[in-house]
Amino acid sequence: MTLKVDIKDKIKQNSSMFVNFIKNAITASPKVQNNFLEVTTKVAETALKIIKDADLIVDLNYKGKEFWSINRCKTSCFIDGGVDRTSIISSAPLSIRAGSYIVKPDATSKREFFEESMVFLGDLYDPKNELYDFVDDDFEEDQMLNKKKDGARIIFEAATIVKHILLNKKFDYCFLHGPLEATVMPFTVAGFPTFTKFAVENMFPFISKNSSVEARHFINAYLEALNYIKKSKFPIYGIVETSNSAPYIKNLLFNYKIKGTISDKDYNSVIKTIKKYKITDSHILEIILSSGQALKPLEVKKQLAGFTVTSGSAWEEKMDSFPKVFIGYIKTSDNQAPVRIESLNYPKYLIKDYEYILGTSRLLPNYGFPVGLNVVDKFAKIPNWMSKTSRKYYATHLLRQAIKNKDQNTVSLAVKILSKKSRSWKNRPIGGISK
Amino acid sequence: MSKLNNWKAIGTVLGETDINEYHFSLKNYKAKKGDIVTTASRLPSTDGTVIPVTVWGKISSIERFNAFFPAEAAQELTNEDIDIRDTILPTTKDELRCKVIILGYTEDGKEKISKLLPLNYPVMPAAIVKYPSSKDVEELFISDLDSSHPISIGNLLARKDVEIKIDGDNLISRHISVWGMSGSGKTVFVRRILTELLNLKYPSFVLDIHGDYLGFVQKQKKYFPDNKVKLFYPNLSVRAEDKEIVYTLIDKLGNTLTDPQRDFLNSLLEKIKYEGGSLLQYIKLLNVKAREFASSGSASFKNVKPASMFVVARSLRIVSKKLENMEQTNARHRRKMSHLKFEELPDSATEPEKIISKGQMSILYLRGYENLPASAIVSIVLENLFRHRQEASEEIAPFFTVIEEAHNFIPSRSENKDDIPSVDTIRKVISEGRKFGTGVMIISQRPSRVDETIASQCNSQVVFRIVNQRDQRATTRDSETLSNDDAKQLPNLANGQGIISGQIVNYSLPVQIKFDEKLINDDIGNENFIDTVENWDDKESVKLRKKFAKDFADINEIDSRRAN
Repeated sequence: MTLKVDIKDKIKQNSSMFVNFIKNAITASPKVQNNFLEVTTKVAETALKIIKDADLIVDLNYKGKEFWSINRCKTSCFIDGGVDRTSIISSAPLSIRAGSYIVKPDATSKREFFEESMVFLGDLYDPKNELYDFVDDDFEEDQMLNKKKDGARIIFEAATIVKHILLNKKFDYCFLHGPLEATVMPFTVAGFPTFTKFAVENMFPFISKNSSVEARHFINAYLEALNYIKKSKFPIYGIVETSNSAPYIKNLLFNYKIKGTISDKDYNSVIKTIKKYKITDSHILEIILSSGQALKPLEVKKQLAGFTVTSGSAWEEKMDSFPKVFIGYIKTSDNQAPVRIESLNYPKYLIKDYEYILGTSRLLPNYGFPVGLNVVDKFAKIPNWMSKTSRKYYATHLLRQAIKNKDQNTVSLAVKILSKKSRSWKNRPIGGISK
Repeated sequence: MSKLNNWKAIGTVLGETDINEYHFSLKNYKAKKGDIVTTASRLPSTDGTVIPVTVWGKISSIERFNAFFPAEAAQELTNEDIDIRDTILPTTKDELRCKVIILGYTEDGKEKISKLLPLNYPVMPAAIVKYPSSKDVEELFISDLDSSHPISIGNLLARKDVEIKIDGDNLISRHISVWGMSGSGKTVFVRRILTELLNLKYPSFVLDIHGDYLGFVQKQKKYFPDNKVKLFYPNLSVRAEDKEIVYTLIDKLGNTLTDPQRDFLNSLLEKIKYEGGSLLQYIKLLNVKAREFASSGSASFKNVKPASMFVVARSLRIVSKKLENMEQTNARHRRKMSHLKFEELPDSATEPEKIISKGQMSILYLRGYENLPASAIVSIVLENLFRHRQEASEEIAPFFTVIEEAHNFIPSRSENKDDIPSVDTIRKVISEGRKFGTGVMIISQRPSRVDETIASQCNSQVVFRIVNQRDQRATTRDSETLSNDDAKQLPNLANGQGIISGQIVNYSLPVQIKFDEKLINDDIGNENFIDTVENWDDKESVKLRKKFAKDFADINEIDSRRAN
């Protein structure tokens, strides 16, 4: 009873839970709305019991001044990628970069480096494939464009980690803003272009120069990169701000189902409920964990075959080749949902590593996220003005080429790029002198 | 300009520019506020060609920010007492953004740096900003000043090796205001100017309230052997024509009079003819006469009651007493400096050449005098001297007047002291003085209390540290060349640092005034009062008084005891 009251109180104070409740209030039926609080409470209570049973909660230690005087000798690398925001029809992305913020507080000479580890302007994907196969449906076209952008960002971030490993950097920690292993299913769709030979060779030198076209597809290239990253000598973590799914809870329940502690019927029923109420790891763990507490990592299979998008895809079998991911959570702040910690290996020094993540997050006491990732996020982000400039540059270059070559395909592409959305509401002329 | 290639690149022009200002991103530690910078540009010329030019500007403000340092991190650092250098927070990503006020442009490809011309086409965004050599900046200032009598006043605040000169001709023929808090450097600047004027043999007349300029008298033989430095004390002598001033003095210094009493005073002034000479004697004479009329009656004052006459007589006695006190105070101060030769101020009406003469500095030592009598003295002297310059005979040479504590002589209308005598005189000298070579320098620590019309006619300004916001507003209100960015800098200026602007320099420049230490008045002690008290010993007279006081206290105590 005390537990129930405690959790109910926490729910009332829980911001992300409240946001989800509002979302449900808008989209879900009245019955769902009424049941939301009660169901969430019950799921949280059950999850807490299982977590306690599995002895997954650890208390982390953080004393500001003491922590930093001990850890000032550590070299940390924070990585994030940025893609331009302008929409352009092409085998885009046009401009993309991944940045690293490398810092060693007690360094005698230079304590910090901001590095544009990977920069690219132009077509990352091979134009010989599906570049000119425009889809008539604008929506589909945009979907593909977004996938290309995401794919490019993910591959650039992975390539940056690979680069640091290849250069034999002596990091104590390496952190990536976002999941260390992204879900690759969206890129298995038919028609998704392969990377250029040049791009793959430059990003992943360990991929054979004589490799086939298939080897340059996102899925294969990314798999190779992850396998390489898994062998890194320094610990690498992907940090995710908020979880939109419930991989930890679902896997925990699954493990208990396998052990026979939960019946198949109960397992299926609770998974259905979690889906119905859009309950995520963040919601549940925000209630369960107190500030400074963490959950030990669980091994999770991220690439699940049979997902609707990829069902029947040629890549379905490939999914099993991807390494499993260790997922843990740290509640860094009273005000925020726990952050998700991903690694490809079980952390060798779990407590110390998690305490380091907590310490770096305490420097952003309200946001509760490692400050180094916040720094590199600002550094790697491609500002609007840069996006616009690159778009203009690209369009002009393309048109010149088209006129020079008199190639019908290129001309039609150039015309389409230049005319696309030029009359959209966003581009309406502004009254007076535009500033 | 070939020189441009030798100058160091320090930044890049940002986004939008216009013909008055631009912003640029600055390399760390490569320039400061107040520095002169250049950028190469191209302009359409009058004949339709495009010419390469160098645009000169002054850094008027610098912003520094670290976009990578979140505010909430500062909160944690403070709460937990963490040194940022121990953490992973970035400390090297500061960005510097400077605002540049454009001074003008010079044409490239010329041997010498020419005079600055007003820019009429915006600076090119993304152009490189350079840091010109000190020699070239100095060359620009001299060339731009275009003065036959440049006066050195110090160096550019941001660059010690750039000497700043002002146009001496503009200084003495026009007017200049000097504002700043007490101890901010006003007197240092005035001493500098007076030194240069002595070197030029240009006559000056200084109204010295506190004895700040007595150093010139002390050191005259050593440093100005070819000049005369005269030290005068006021002589309250008035002429018959100055009847209005006499009336104002009695009216303001004495008791408040009713209308019939004022009528009597006016009639008294008419009746008792004044032939000039000591004002004090004249007021005493008026007092005696007023008493006589009150006691015996007079056919001339049939309608005035004796009681009213007595009130006027009493008021005259108060005025004469006050004037006597002021004279005595002034004399006491003079006696303290017995080694200095004080002379009675000659009659400015009949002997102006004794006050204004080639190569002479005349100091009128006004210490001890209240505002009103001081104002009356100044009004009479300046009126006479100005008249001598106005007359065709030109009995005296052009001269330069320095008015210390100007708010006492030319108070603002809001002070309700508009009728003090010196206001009209100084207004006249300021508005007509240019034609007759009677330049004026007004100095005050409270510019907001100075007459707005007079202040606005000073077309050059030197402003030192000012903290009071009303005074800050007054400085920008009265100046055509002082910008708001300059005004923001005023509270932070150190001693001897000022912003000089107007016709004597053409644009506003932050300057460190050269300190002529040798000209400090040795008789004005330091202001270390704590040490003074520490070494304090009562005078014998005081010790004796204290002893007697104790004896009397003992007597009183015994006396008040109860008999039992």
